[in-house]
Amino acid sequence: MKAAAFNYARAASVDEAVQMLVRGGGGAKLLAGGQSLLPALNLRLMSLDLLVDITGIAALRGIRVEGGTLKIGAMTRHADLLTSPEIAAHAPLLAKAIAHVAHPAIRNRGTIGGNLAHADPASELPACMLALGATLVIQGPSGQRRVQAADFFLGLYQTALAPDEILIAIELPALASGERAFFHEYARRMGDYAIVGLAAQGKPAGDRIDALRLVYFGVGERAGSCPAAARILQQRHSPAILAEAQAALAADLQPQNDHQASAAMRLHLARTLLARCVNELLGRAEASA
Amino acid sequence: MNHTPADQPQPAPTADAPRNGYTINGKLYFAEPQPGQCLRTFLRERGVFGVKKGCDQGDCGACTVWLDGTPVHSCLMPAFRAAGREVTTVEGLAPPDGSLHPVQQAFLGAQAFQCSFCTAGMMMTCAALTDAQKEDMPQALKGNLCRCTGYRAIADAMHGRAEIAEDIAGEACGASVPSPLAHAIVTGEARYTMDVAMEGMLHLKVLRSPHAHARIRAIGRDRAMAVPGVAAIFTWEDVPRRLYSTATHEDHLVDPDDSYMLDNVVRFAGQRVAAVVAETEAAAEAACRLLEVEYEILPAVFDPVAAMAPGAPRIHDERGEERGNIYADIHGEIGSVAEGFASADAVHEMTYSTSRVQHVHLETHGSIAWQGEDGRVHIRTSTQAPFIAKQKLCHLFGLRPSDVHVFTERVGGGFGGKQEMISEDLCLLAALKTGRPVQWEFTREEQFIGATTRHQMTTRVKLGARRDGTLTAIELHVVSNTGAYGGHASETLGASLGGPMTAYRCPNKKAAGYAVYTNMVPGGGFRGYGSSQTAFAIECAIDELARLLGIDPFAMRRKNMILPGDWIESAWNDPSDVDFGSYGLDQCLDFVEGALAKGGGLPKPEGEEWAEGTGVALAMLECGPPTEHRSGAQMRLLPDGSYHLAVGSTEMGNGSITSHRQIAASLLSARADRIAIVNADTDLAPYDTGTFASTGTVVAGQAVRMAAEAMRDSILGFARRHTGADCRLDDNAVICGNERVGLAELYAIGTRAGHHFEAKRKSYLSLRSVAFNVQGIRLAVHRATGEIRILHSVHGADIGRLINPMQCRGQIEGSIAMGIGWALTEQMVYDAEGRMVNPALRNYRIPSYADVPPTEVFFADTYDRIGPLGAKSQGECAINPVAPAIANALADATGVRFPHLPLLPDRIFAKLAPHA
Ligand SMILES: Cc1cc2nc3c(=O)[nH]c(=O)nc-3n(C[C@H](O)[C@H](O)[C@H](O)COP(=O)(O)OP(=O)(O)OC[C@H]3O[C@@H](n4cnc5c(N)ncnc54)[C@H](O)[C@@H]3O)c2cc1C
Ligand code: FES
Ligand code: FES
Repeated sequence: MKAAAFNYARAASVDEAVQMLVRGGGGAKLLAGGQSLLPALNLRLMSLDLLVDITGIAALRGIRVEGGTLKIGAMTRHADLLTSPEIAAHAPLLAKAIAHVAHPAIRNRGTIGGNLAHADPASELPACMLALGATLVIQGPSGQRRVQAADFFLGLYQTALAPDEILIAIELPALASGERAFFHEYARRMGDYAIVGLAAQGKPAGDRIDALRLVYFGVGERAGSCPAAARILQQRHSPAILAEAQAALAADLQPQNDHQASAAMRLHLARTLLARCVNELLGRAEASA
Repeated sequence: MNHTPADQPQPAPTADAPRNGYTINGKLYFAEPQPGQCLRTFLRERGVFGVKKGCDQGDCGACTVWLDGTPVHSCLMPAFRAAGREVTTVEGLAPPDGSLHPVQQAFLGAQAFQCSFCTAGMMMTCAALTDAQKEDMPQALKGNLCRCTGYRAIADAMHGRAEIAEDIAGEACGASVPSPLAHAIVTGEARYTMDVAMEGMLHLKVLRSPHAHARIRAIGRDRAMAVPGVAAIFTWEDVPRRLYSTATHEDHLVDPDDSYMLDNVVRFAGQRVAAVVAETEAAAEAACRLLEVEYEILPAVFDPVAAMAPGAPRIHDERGEERGNIYADIHGEIGSVAEGFASADAVHEMTYSTSRVQHVHLETHGSIAWQGEDGRVHIRTSTQAPFIAKQKLCHLFGLRPSDVHVFTERVGGGFGGKQEMISEDLCLLAALKTGRPVQWEFTREEQFIGATTRHQMTTRVKLGARRDGTLTAIELHVVSNTGAYGGHASETLGASLGGPMTAYRCPNKKAAGYAVYTNMVPGGGFRGYGSSQTAFAIECAIDELARLLGIDPFAMRRKNMILPGDWIESAWNDPSDVDFGSYGLDQCLDFVEGALAKGGGLPKPEGEEWAEGTGVALAMLECGPPTEHRSGAQMRLLPDGSYHLAVGSTEMGNGSITSHRQIAASLLSARADRIAIVNADTDLAPYDTGTFASTGTVVAGQAVRMAAEAMRDSILGFARRHTGADCRLDDNAVICGNERVGLAELYAIGTRAGHHFEAKRKSYLSLRSVAFNVQGIRLAVHRATGEIRILHSVHGADIGRLINPMQCRGQIEGSIAMGIGWALTEQMVYDAEGRMVNPALRNYRIPSYADVPPTEVFFADTYDRIGPLGAKSQGECAINPVAPAIANALADATGVRFPHLPLLPDRIFAKLAPHA
């Protein structure tokens, strides 16, 4: 099983890469870490004429903190995120999540930009982007534009990127004082894509949680924010409030039935995760779900 | 070489394509990867065969190499990206001074491999781990799958445990001496089927049916033929129209001749439709996609019960009307179950089912066929039965046996999956038609949709017992889904009504079994071979009955288990050739009960949502199949005083070449390394039925014993005549009276005198002994999520004398891991049209390092009077009690019986969760 024949080109700059995409029309595709693209190519699930390799573009790599913002180049590899002190300090949610992404050899090649552009609904990272309120910086033939995470992920493997656009960077507001992150996922077997996972960040205040963002993944066709549940949890914690928030998940999530789990089980797991999340953010012992 | 030959146009490199060199293991290569080529195949085309393929999807890690010192999956790395960088493979792991890398040394010391197809990738990952990563091996080895070992030996290697024994003359038997290929394995020099480059090689690919049942009206080949590089296309009109079975057995009548190499009716989604051979795999695949097949869709049936109903779509309509889709049925009764149930105080009746699973040997199926300069055809293949494959090829192509040579190199796992001839035939066809060597390597997807699986079986069990627990009646009704073809169907059905039923003494037993054709992928041989399926049902039912009576599961089993001296019988009155060569079931039960009671393993996770339970199950397995089985072995003393041993049987990670050498060495009072062994080669070794049904030791090993004894007698006989004194062997010499004559010298003297230092023996399997296994499990289940964690695993095995304790432990641990996968994580999922939805290792989940707990393994102290040097079968039996022990522990924890495998979280959730 070898991939079908195609040509490749190394872009030296983002501008050059964009030009190549424009020239290539629909037949050109970006190559980042290749960890999602190569499996598809090996199976010949897609055919294309030109691969535009963007790994050589130094400007696309690296993690910087500027003011209150964490800037991550799209070509930053998972392995770099995992070991970065900046990520650990300013985006602990991402640090927790990345440990669940694939396994070491994949993390040595895969990039955050490739992951987000791929938009796998079971992936941990799009959910983190929503939970962190990320801004995605995109460059295309008519210059740069910035898109909020909430507007970037459109559906199953679908994003706001046009075929001739490149995701160049991700900007995250650094963790504010008092904010805490929660991340957990249920998977069939260790290291698998999640059946249901939850990425959350919020500001515990006494027994309320302010500014809470709850984002589920593995549920539905894209990462799913749950604003209704989050709003309810701004009230003082009580079993009744938790139950109300858990009930509200039904309105926010569209769980699917598949061979991994039924929709009912997914919703149930989502509720279990919510209880864990609330308890952890409020620093309580785990109660039964 | 299998890269694009010069007559294929190379696409012009683009302006910015790299032209720099590639450094592979310190050597600089100047080569241009083909566009789209991944590093894995690029390396193999340079002759770097240590880099293996298990999936080409990033899931298995067999292809792991280092890029500038960092491990990556070479199948997911575009080759051109390695330009100007340093690639290190297993071949480059050792320092140049000829010593081994510490990780290689550790893998050697712990014999951390069986088929060793995963070993190169595993070592490349392990050798790059930081100390911190080593602290968390489950995480660190997430990306490297091993199907054979159960990971325990790999963990041992990483903890620096070296357990191999010294090779002492005359003491090889019973010692953990290493595999003769251990060094070649850890250095990446061991060669598997596809690890060869041949001039002019063509590549074969097949088009597989997207439909579960269809008649092929026409196949248009013009567009496919036009693909550059295509050499030939074969459809059903181009193959010998001869029926055969792909299943391999000594007795060809036990499998139905219901298959054609290529047929004009396809009976399952994934069946071969046409084959293309071309200069490259890519061209062959492209041509397959351009074949224009006109299908007439036929009604399909997937459920065997539905397939038995009148009016169901007929799968093989040349069969008689009255039998319909039932390929085989077996019925029997001893005593009267009606009376037995009438006299019972408690009766349990329930329907249990076990799921279809795939072997997932890490090396996929594959063959290479060519016509030699000697005018014969040669087939290098990954098979468990080269001699039967040869017979089948002679039958299909009308060839003389002397003109056909079938052999294996190292085989990367089998587990019954390679007890099947499913790649050799088309390669040979294409080689005969084109006059060129032809290779065909299955993809992982083909392995799932186009190879065989474990038979899915549904078993209704009815058990009756008196108040004190004494069984009064056992009744079994089994429906086996054999899929579109009937290979192994009747034999697995027979086995399903064998061991699991004979394990219990009961005067009244009744069985009915049906093997039914459906439009599913065919069932085949798989470790445990039918008996695993009903062992699950019966062992669960025994627990349920014990619960009804308020009797402890161990006591219930002790009360009813078969005892030495008992008449061994299932549900029919025919006498069998099975007997107690030894008996250690009692010891195994005692051990498991004691070990569970003592504690050990992990504590229950915190939280009231976690429920804890323990379970036990036992299994009895006949050592070898009821069908005919024979093996030959041949020995020669060589001029330098060492020995040559030729055995027909295949080594596929089961360790037979190691144990065969040990058997011979101990009988010849020699060191194991004085014996050079060749195996599984129809030219170089005597006939062998095949390595399956746990025959590697009890049949092939028996032949080795007999040949070695004859060799010994030949040497001593000559020495005695020559010296006039009583003689005995001592490593590389004979000691006659006070005189020590080196074997090299004796050989020279004897040969001059016309003596032949040679021996050949054949062994035939009958009588057969029985082996026993008992599994104990303590687990925790999360009531809300359905997650199961195995906390403690203990296993008692009665497999007779251990020829190689370390290897025996490995077989048991590997079986347990496979049993855990079957019980908990593996599932072949199909859509409504009968197409598999998850034919990839990403979502067909074989256990990874993190999923397999360590097992305390105990061996009963028995010495079998039937098997060679006291040994019994061991390769299969340990899997049988695993799934039922887990299910029994789950029932104990939850109070709910889950009768269907696999025990998936969503199924558990559906029964346990409050809001479900
Ligand atoms: C065995 C295995 C297990 C995995 N498990 C997980 C997991 O548990 N969780 C998880 O999240 N992921 C998982 N992945 C996917 C992994 O994280 C990939 O690395 C990632 O999804 C893709 O990143 P990449 O850099 O390799 O992108 P590539 O494969 O190179 O590209 C992916 C797609 O994105 C496009 N693209 C790439 N970069 C850009 C860009 N800058 N702008 C626009 N488009 C771009 C490409 O054209 C392509 O279509 C797994 C992968 C494998 C092989
Ligand atoms: S072959 Fe590359 S990971 Fe399996
Ligand atoms: S030894 Fe690991 S797959 Fe066979």
